[in-house]
Amino acid sequence: MTDIERLLEAPIGRRRFIAGSGLAGFSAFLAACGPGATPKPTEAAVTGPLNFANWPAYIDLTEDESSSPTLTDFEAKHGIVVNYVEDIQANEDFFATVAPQLGAGLDTGWDIIVLTDYMAARVVRLGWTEEIDQANTPNAVANIRDELKGLDWDPDMKRHFPWQSGATGVGYNVKSTGRDLSSVADLFDEAFAGKVTLLSGYPDTFSLVGLLLKERGEIEHVPAEMSLDDAQKVHDYIKPFVDSGHIRAFTGNEYLQDFGSGDTWAAMVWSGDLASSAGEDDRFVYPTEGSIIWTDNMLIPKGAQHKRAAEAMIDFVYDVANAARLAAWIYYISPVKGVADEIAKNDPELATNELLFPGPEITATQYPQPALADEDDVKWNDLAADLEGA
Amino acid sequence: MLAAFVHRNRRLIPYALMAPGLLWLLFFFVVPNVQMLVFSLSEGTLRTGFTSPPEVWDVANYPASVTRFSANFANSLVYGGLATILCFLIGYPLAYAIAFRGGRWKNLLLFLVIAPFFTSFLIRTISWKIILGDQGPLLAVVRDGLGLVPPNFSIIGSPLAVVGGLTYQFLPFMVLPLYVSIEKVDRRLIEAAQDLYAGPWRRGGLLVGALGGAVVASLAFVGLGYGRLAGEGADPAAVGAVALAGAIVGGAVGATMISQAFIRVTFPLSLPGVFAASILTFIPAIGDYVNAQLLGSPKTQMVGNVIQGRFLDQNDYPVAAALAFLLMAGILVAIALYARLLGTDELTGGRA
Repeated sequence: MTDIERLLEAPIGRRRFIAGSGLAGFSAFLAACGPGATPKPTEAAVTGPLNFANWPAYIDLTEDESSSPTLTDFEAKHGIVVNYVEDIQANEDFFATVAPQLGAGLDTGWDIIVLTDYMAARVVRLGWTEEIDQANTPNAVANIRDELKGLDWDPDMKRHFPWQSGATGVGYNVKSTGRDLSSVADLFDEAFAGKVTLLSGYPDTFSLVGLLLKERGEIEHVPAEMSLDDAQKVHDYIKPFVDSGHIRAFTGNEYLQDFGSGDTWAAMVWSGDLASSAGEDDRFVYPTEGSIIWTDNMLIPKGAQHKRAAEAMIDFVYDVANAARLAAWIYYISPVKGVADEIAKNDPELATNELLFPGPEITATQYPQPALADEDDVKWNDLAADLEGA
Repeated sequence: MLAAFVHRNRRLIPYALMAPGLLWLLFFFVVPNVQMLVFSLSEGTLRTGFTSPPEVWDVANYPASVTRFSANFANSLVYGGLATILCFLIGYPLAYAIAFRGGRWKNLLLFLVIAPFFTSFLIRTISWKIILGDQGPLLAVVRDGLGLVPPNFSIIGSPLAVVGGLTYQFLPFMVLPLYVSIEKVDRRLIEAAQDLYAGPWRRGGLLVGALGGAVVASLAFVGLGYGRLAGEGADPAAVGAVALAGAIVGGAVGATMISQAFIRVTFPLSLPGVFAASILTFIPAIGDYVNAQLLGSPKTQMVGNVIQGRFLDQNDYPVAAALAFLLMAGILVAIALYARLLGTDELTGGRA
């Protein structure tokens, strides 16, 4: 491949889109400034700063990666500062850092936090979130995709709005592995001994390896219906690979660094990260055994100081143009209706990207993570902890 | 007025002066530790809620923690101990050289010893991850350049990487106390010893050096998992060969580079520093979890990692607190034994 051809490959899609959408964003910004262009629904003023805790590789960046167009535009629109911190590497870790304050009825210092389904459900059930005033989030109410609504833990969207959805699958560096991977089983290929990482905690790793064992007939259930016995089987399958050193580590988002340094060749990863934030030889694949689908949700933690600003942010990212720009950069599945059309306008090629818009043959084999009761959660966690060695 | 008041209550002055320190200890040491003690005897998790004494006294947390996490305790002990020994072997000559041969470069050299502390602990560990990484400079030389190890060999994830990281991180804790006590040694005593025929150590050095070298080398070899003494792949011959190599190096150093004046005067006088330095190194090294987390693998996790995981991932405060107490107790016992061995009475009583 010549240099020029390489330049024309993947990254250009994203850049070209940004160039196109920059104008759209700017005109939207002008429109927003004009009199009466957007309805001003509420009395309370938006005050900052907005303290926003999110996961790494989950926000759009400018060409030189020094700032985020989404955040810059939001700051300009509302005249407040956003403290955007990539502080969440794993649901459990972040929960542990905020749970003591929330349990004691204290402010966590965050105005928006982003947690995956099962953890968001847990925080909502514990009563640790502020109610979202839907009058302040008209875009979100109007534009959220229908299939994301009506969850049993928050049927009326009073406690959460999805940030992005994504999948857990297999990532690999094609130069290191020397071949294309296609399945979870490939992670256990002897040729990659010592160069493989899995995800910490049970929701991703146990689900995905559960799918592998299901295909081999050793487990009958899909991840959401797996029993403790099934989890034990998954544990027993992975354990020898940990003992032999085949599995080098269990990680959160830091697998991005390990791909960057070349220490990891193949890993269990989240779908958009490698496309947005890794090298051009790092690929993501929806495994043949199936993949895990999940949604990360924005919550306003109880006692948040800038609730109105948080609502403004929720509304802002549900604006179709803003949502399209964000999804096009981070390569995750937008929760906003009409994003596909918006992206198709700027970059038709990206509109067919399976990371943003998984086709029916992929969604047919996507499964949600298990949602466990507290008791089982402890036992599954113990199994995961035993694999992780601590 | 005030002067008279103070004078009348002058017996209370020492207590007034101690008060800030005592209050500090009370609030930031005693209170949290009592809280931890209560947790260690409780049941439940952060989400299910805790049942604490006096309703339940879940003493079983302690034996359960030891049996379940014995491998992690062993890792901590071995890695922390090896790192301390390596720090000593590297640090003593360094401190000696700075103290006795530093001359006008002394301050610069000392500054260089502590210079790494100007960056964050985490950054330093992560840069070690890069140095030792599969694409890093070390393997580029050893693997690609010299071909000493097979192509799929990794250092990251091995006990060697963890012990290496610990040794690097805590070396300044070893060097500085050693420097202070070596620097204080009265040179006239050394001259006097030399006048009284304290020449090269020769035979004694050969013996002691060879013994020490053999012990340290085989400890490191087995502790780092290369000897596999415990497993089915036991290979006593390899351990023997490594011990022999250690003995030859140690013997050579002992016989040729160490004088009797050093063994009879300088080293005994620097023992208080050795004691302080090894404790200052061993305690943080045994409780560390950053190096094992970033440089290790699931098999090299130390007790600190378990405590961190139990607190932050499983929200299992009781077991985490029990482990923390066991670690603290273990360290105290180790230090007590060590103090007895080195004879702190003599050290604090001042032999010189």
